[in-house]
Amino acid sequence: MRLAVALTLLAVPLAAQSVQSRLEGRIPSDAVPAVDSLVQVAVHEGLPSEPLVQKALEGGAKQVPGPRIVAAVRVSLGQLRDARDLLVRAGDQPPTRPGEVTTVAWALRRKLPPSTIERVVAELPHPPRAAAIHAIADLVSHDFDPDSSAGLIIDAVHNGLQRDRLLDVSTAALHEVQRGRTRDEAIAVVRQQLPNVPGPPKPERGTVTRARRPDSTKTPR
Amino acid sequence: MTMIDPRIHQALDGELPTDALPAELRRAAQRVRAAADLLAAPVPGPSLESRIMAEIRRPAPSRLSRVAGWLATPHAVTFRVRPVWSLAFAAVAAVFTLFFARDAGPQLGEHEGIAQFVGRFPNARSVHVVGTFNDWRRGTIALEDVRHDGVWTATVVLPTGTYEYMFVVDGERWVPDHLADRLVADDFGRENSVVIVRPVHR
Repeated sequence: MRLAVALTLLAVPLAAQSVQSRLEGRIPSDAVPAVDSLVQVAVHEGLPSEPLVQKALEGGAKQVPGPRIVAAVRVSLGQLRDARDLLVRAGDQPPTRPGEVTTVAWALRRKLPPSTIERVVAELPHPPRAAAIHAIADLVSHDFDPDSSAGLIIDAVHNGLQRDRLLDVSTAALHEVQRGRTRDEAIAVVRQQLPNVPGPPKPERGTVTRARRPDSTKTPR
Repeated sequence: MTMIDPRIHQALDGELPTDALPAELRRAAQRVRAAADLLAAPVPGPSLESRIMAEIRRPAPSRLSRVAGWLATPHAVTFRVRPVWSLAFAAVAAVFTLFFARDAGPQLGEHEGIAQFVGRFPNARSVHVVGTFNDWRRGTIALEDVRHDGVWTATVVLPTGTYEYMFVVDGERWVPDHLADRLVADDFGRENSVVIVRPVHR
């Protein structure tokens, strides 16, 4: 028990130091303390902190003024809180999974109605549901009806599809629209195909040959 | 080749009595005569004619058994190689291994996929893609205009997941990927493109 407490006391300052070192030189120096404190609040509340760090780094890379970066990070923290509260309200027992909170926050940014997320959590009570939420958000961002989208993806889960295969379902519906069907028709067609929706095409050998890992050793400009 | 003394020939042909030969030639003549007698003696067992007929009457082996027999029989294989060709072959194999085998691309892990970024930027001097996959760092993923036609491309190995990104043209102009079918507001007044990287090994 003492060891656990000692490790926790050590880990929090180390994490803080690590966040500061990632931010310094990447965002305006006057924004670092405020962003750092928002990140610490997220850690303290059991929320994922990486989306906040990424938002700050994005603002810095885009040369956004410090106050706007802090404001955007604060908005992101609010979205994470909303996502966690939504999951708990829908029936999840705290502590919520950071991955699910991040996904729900991302889905809310993509205009997925909270009621749709609550329906997903109620009908799929066992995590992981991130892929399902992703797939529904994908459809909704392409102007599919939220309830119909949720119904299709929930049906896919009940047909045994999981994780990445759920993205194949949303992709199949998008392809049907590209072929000229209405969105309602596309959902009906894909529902009939379940669970045998086509997977993504394998990358060609030439593509794999050309692929390179990003050079992480280069310093930012 | 050892020549036989002509007197031995004469003794064997009966033209000269064996006793008339010197002692060492006499012994040699006797050994040759014994060998000739042995060769002339009838072979015990069936006659030559009956053995030939037995072979003729024996049913011919099937094609399968002939193939099996050929496969089971050891065969001597002889290579005649000029050392200069051997060395040339070894050099070609080494070059192939060094250049082509090494260029077979990266080994992808279970949770890795491939993202292809394509943008049309005529007259651009440089194009980079930055996003949540590289901590929004410029300079880590450069696109290339291989054909010098203004089409810039990069094919990158990334961990599976969903990422937001933008192109940076000439180090200063931020442009969303117009080919991406997913966009999301970036909270800074612009839109980020979204790419979903799926695992290659499934």
